[in-house]
Amino acid sequence: MRIYEELFIVKPDAPEEEIDQFIEQMKGVVAAAGGSVDKAEKWGKRRLAYRVDKYREGVYVLFQFNAAPETVKEFERRLRVSDHVIKFLTVRIDQTLKRLDKRKKERDKRAHRKATAAPAPAQASVSQQMLGERGAPGEPAPAAE
Amino acid sequence: MAESKGRPGSAGQRPTGGDKAVATQKKQYFRRKKVCRFCVEKIDDINYKDVRLLSSFVAERGKIVPRRISGVCAPHQRRLSDAIKKARNIALLPFAASI
Repeated sequence: MRIYEELFIVKPDAPEEEIDQFIEQMKGVVAAAGGSVDKAEKWGKRRLAYRVDKYREGVYVLFQFNAAPETVKEFERRLRVSDHVIKFLTVRIDQTLKRLDKRKKERDKRAHRKATAAPAPAQASVSQQMLGERGAPGEPAPAAE
Repeated sequence: MAESKGRPGSAGQRPTGGDKAVATQKKQYFRRKKVCRFCVEKIDDINYKDVRLLSSFVAERGKIVPRRISGVCAPHQRRLSDAIKKARNIALLPFAASI
């Protein structure tokens, strides 16, 4: 199982209900293949950076789901067949998420170490100095006596 | 010595990590040290959906700003260009913008 992110653009002139219906349908596709949909967001109408199929704006929909690679194939096929979808992008994100998690953990650990370690060496060095100062004059003193 | 000063390929004249604010023809440069914005602000995730962030690394015409200009470090520039290309693919950023 892998985590994927699917961003697709629906035609701006498609009726709202049909878009919602389509989203539900795509959720069903993932569920039927044994995957799980983590996120299904509708961004709403946005301006496109360039013209796609003679449209200057489109409704962006973002899916995040956990599924097998074959499911993505089916998912993309559905998008391609659908009349409303004009563009889509699939990104596999499980490795990226893992990497980010690792980076975050490292960062937290470092911050934690910094917070705990910073006062500790300072104290140690001070106490060592004190010991050194006390020890050095203390030792020759009995020898002289 | 005098020859190497004038040559554009010599180390002194190369604009690596330097600002473009070269003052005079004399060897007096004002170079501000550039730093990678992603390293400084600790941005781990360069996401293709974050249009506002990406668009600050895209020139007016829609080209990716080279890191010699923007000062982004190599690992981050790699991820950045990846993200920009993905964003272009899904029409969040232009391939070539008209002015």
